[in-house]
Parts: sequence; C-alpha cells; structure tokens
Amino acid sequence: MTASIIANLPVFVVIAPLFVGFILPTFSRRMRLVEGLVILVEALGLVGAGYLAFIVLAQKGVPILYSLGGWPAPWGIELVAGSLEAFFLLVIAGVSLPVALFAKGNLTQEVGSAERVTRFYVLYLLLGGALVGMALTNDLFNVYVLVEVATLSCCGLVSARNHPRAAEAAFSYLILATLGSALVMGGIGFIYMVTGHLNMGFAARELSRIWQDYPHVVWMAISFILVGFGVKSALFPLHVWLPDAHSTAPSPASAILSGLAVKGYLICLLKFLYGVFGHPLLRELAIDRILTLAGAVAIIAGSILALTQEELKRRLAYSTVAQVGYIILGLGLLNTKGLTGALFYLASHAVIKATLFLAAGAMLAATGRKNLRELAGVGRKMPITMAAFTIASLGLIGLPLFSGFIGKWYLLLGSLEAGRILPVTVIIAGSVLCAAYLLPIIRGAYFETAPENDWRDPGLPQKIALLLLAAAVVILGVIPGPLLELAKRAAAELLAL
Amino acid sequence: MSVFLKKLIVNYPYFVAAILFMIGALTVLTRSNLFKKLIGINIMESAIFLLFVAGGNIRGGVAPILSTANQEAVYINPLPSALMLTGIVVSVSVTAFALALILRLYKAYGTINLERIVELRNGVTMDDSIDHS
Repeated sequence: MTASIIANLPVFVVIAPLFVGFILPTFSRRMRLVEGLVILVEALGLVGAGYLAFIVLAQKGVPILYSLGGWPAPWGIELVAGSLEAFFLLVIAGVSLPVALFAKGNLTQEVGSAERVTRFYVLYLLLGGALVGMALTNDLFNVYVLVEVATLSCCGLVSARNHPRAAEAAFSYLILATLGSALVMGGIGFIYMVTGHLNMGFAARELSRIWQDYPHVVWMAISFILVGFGVKSALFPLHVWLPDAHSTAPSPASAILSGLAVKGYLICLLKFLYGVFGHPLLRELAIDRILTLAGAVAIIAGSILALTQEELKRRLAYSTVAQVGYIILGLGLLNTKGLTGALFYLASHAVIKATLFLAAGAMLAATGRKNLRELAGVGRKMPITMAAFTIASLGLIGLPLFSGFIGKWYLLLGSLEAGRILPVTVIIAGSVLCAAYLLPIIRGAYFETAPENDWRDPGLPQKIALLLLAAAVVILGVIPGPLLELAKRAAAELLAL
Repeated sequence: MSVFLKKLIVNYPYFVAAILFMIGALTVLTRSNLFKKLIGINIMESAIFLLFVAGGNIRGGVAPILSTANQEAVYINPLPSALMLTGIVVSVSVTAFALALILRLYKAYGTINLERIVELRNGVTMDDSIDHS
C-alpha cells in the first residue's frame, strides 16, 4: 500500500486536491469538517512535496519520471519531478497550508453563507491542484489545460465576494487571462507544427536541431508564449487586471493569488523558455535582453505605482507587479547565479506576499478601514498581526537575515557575472523604492496614536498562520538550506539542457 | 510577388486564422460592451483552433480510420483535432463563467457597457455588501 502510494506520488499530489475539491460540496452543511479536510489535504501535500524533494536531493539530480496510464514518453503524458518541480511544490505546499489555516472560521465575514464558503474552498483546492500539475507536467498541451483550470479557479476566487466590484474585477481578469491563454495555446500550436512533439523534452531536442530552418515560426512561438504568460503573470505593462483582482478578492484568496498563482505562470514560462526553447536559442534571438529590460521596467514602474496608492491592499497588489519584475529580470540573466536568484526570490516573495496580504486582511477585518491613513496606531492594538507585517516588509525590502536578501543577493551576483550595469542599479533602486512604500505604513502603525477603539488581533488559527509565515521569512533568510540547494540545482540543470 | 501570392494561396487557412485572431483581439480590446468582448474572445479562440486543425491537415488525406480496402491511403494527423476538442470544452466553460459574471454585473448596475459601469461604480464603495443573489 505505502509502496504503491510512493511509486505514484507525482500523480497523487496533483489528484488529491482535485478529488477532495470535488467531493467537498457534499459536506457543505458541516463547516468544521470542510475546513478540516482542506487543511488535511494541504498538510498531506506538504508531506508529499517534502518527500519528493527528499528523493530528488538524495538522487543527485536524477528526476522522477512518471508516465500517465502507462503510455511511454513521446505518446503519453509524462510527469517529471526534478529539482525545479520539487522546489516549486515545496513553495506551493508551504504557502497554501498557512493560508488554509488563516481561512479557518474566518471566511463567512468576507464571502457569506456556508455554501459560498464551501465553493470558495472548492476553487481553492482546484487552484492548488492545477498549480502542482503545471509544475509537474512535461506535456505542452497538458500545460495549457492546467493553466486554464488555474485561470478559471483564480477568476472564481476573485468573484467570491458578493459585491459588484468583485464581479467587475473578475470579468476583466477573465477576459485578459483568456486572451493570455489563447496566445499560449497559439504558441504551443507553433511549437507542435515545427517539431511534431508535445513532450517538452522531445520538442526541445527537435527544436534545437531544426530551428534555423523555421526562424519566423520560432519567433512567433516565443513571442506568443512570452506575451501569453506575461499577461497571466502580470508583467508590466500587461498588469492592468492585477490591482483590481488582487485587492477585491477575499484576503486568503489575495494571498494565494499574489503569492502562488502568479508564480505558477512564471514557472511555466521558465519551463517553456529553458526547457523547450533552450538557452542557446534565447541568447541567439536576444530574448534574454528583452527579459532583463522588461523586468527592469516592471520593477521601477510597479514600485512607483505602488507609492501612489492610498489603499493598503492596492499598494500590496502593485508591489506584486514590481516583484514579478525581479523574477523576469533573473530569467534574462542566463547564468546559474541569476537563475538561482530568480527562483529563490520567487519562493521568498510567495511567502512574504502571502504574509502581507493575510496581515492586511486581518487589519481590514478588525478595523473595517482600508486606507493607509486611517490605519495609524494599529501596531499597538494588533501586535502580532503588525509584527508579521513588519517582518515580511523587511524581507521584501531585502534586509540581511530575511529571505528576500538571499534572492536579491544572488540576482546581484548574477547581473555582475553577466557584466550588466542596468540590472544592478535597478535591483538596488527597487529595494529603496520598496522601503519607501512599505516603511511609512509601519511607522504610522507603531508611532502614531490610534483613536479609542476595540481593534484586536484575529483568532488563534489566524495568529498561528501569520506567525508560521513570518517565521518562514526569517528561517529562509538565516538557514536557506535545502530550498536554496534545490534552487541552485534547478538552475544548473536548466542551463545544462 | 508571385511567390508570396502562391504561398498565400497554398497556406490560406493560416492567413484566415491570423485575420480571425486580429478581429477577435481588436474586438476584445476596443469594445466596451461586455458581450462583444466575450464574443471577441471566442473569435480569437476559434482562430487558434483553426490554426491547430490546419496544421494537422494533409491535402488529399482521409480521416484516420484504418481500412483494409485502401492500403495506400494518406491519413491526416488526428492529434490536433483531438486537442482542439479539449480546447473547445475549455472555451465553452470560460464563456459560461463570463456569462454568469455579466449577469451579475447587469443585475447590479443595470447595464452591460463597461464605461458606464466604471462611471456608476465610483458611487459604490467596497464596504456596503449588496446582496443580489
């Protein structure tokens, strides 16, 4: 029994959340059972991801291959769990477990009746399963299908609040995200036409051999994929849907959308760029320069836009636009250090942004105020929430001993190694801007007096979730250990292809 | 010129797909009517479906059903068509979800024009929960 579970682990981590998600509505009258099941699935996912990571680390970079239905690779759909996949699985499980804990007993205020809360959880689990699948699958069309599942569940999560603004944000998100999926599907079509393969490994081998014969089709494929995933991962200036969607969603949904969903698309983009097109082709077509430039523009523009926002959640949402820039910038550096930095920054931003959005949600729920100026003095009334917020902010700015620092450090090393001045300046300027839009919030919260009120920290599960995430920010900064090791190996493997 | 024209005539499905795609994208990006946006998305997706199916087609090929009568038959590639079945299913679910959202927006604002909705919204704040379901 255990042996067969371990042998089929790559499938179980995808199917378990999907399966539980679909049976969840049958228990919608018993809220505690629903919440318990969700937390159980996320905990099992963390165990599974940890075990996969352990095997991958022990095997010294030999990926676990799994053929679905027993059909071998060129014909059947293949799941691959290598360093990159194990790394991202750990991030997904590590963030979605505390977020599920935070949502426990806390959603009715934002979402409504028990039935609506159950539907929220269904979408939550579907998104989790789709993200895991996106990371694991090695089949081009399977990527498209899972991306579509993730997109639809994201839109559902955005519209979970029973408010016309939520529906409006969800609609514009749905339209732009579907535009992105159509572009991605077109790009996959071009790759299939040129190579005749849907398996990423086979397509990559074929493509590296024959791409000079079809330069126009390859250009079309790359630009379709780049713009398609760019829209979905909110790369500036394709980010227009993100601030509305992420700030109107219920807080746990904002945390998961900003923390994980955007990262899932970035991982897919990474797999396409390095796993299918390969880095020699990227260098040849100067895609690396485009990526670095786009990332740099996103960092500066996103940070400045964040500075101008008055609402807490909108400021955090624009900050996500800026942080996506760092990851895209790292993807364009084309060396091991830069790629390691991009991957580690992805993980650290996932944890940090989840913490920030959950803390913001807790403040919003306790005070009922969303504007920054009205939140003065909240630090003394809600010490634990604000402590988590402060730790995460310092991590996002990139102070040493916090997780953001290691990501930025490797990005800096990578840009120095690539001999480019622009990324170095932009990374440092981005940190300064980040401090400029986050530190005033903390200053106001601690050093200004609050009006007489009964603002209080949230309940016990919420506190535990916030403390877990804040602890993760510090632990990743002090002892990055296995996660950094996985990121390094993933970067080395991607560049060795 | 004649080479270009010949290419255009031989590869006409791809050009039709490109034109359809542009029509769809233009509709999505320029129209403020929510229904028209949705239809634009559908046109765009049809363009991609056409691209895939045309890519799998072989002129003079027959449907890929093995028959003993005609041993020399050239079969078209069935895989893109099969993939597009999945694509159509996805497109239908996106359309259904978008229609549900349009319905909710219409109930809340009484219009399906995006510009009008933005005007109306500025009077509505996030805090009052309006229950329309």
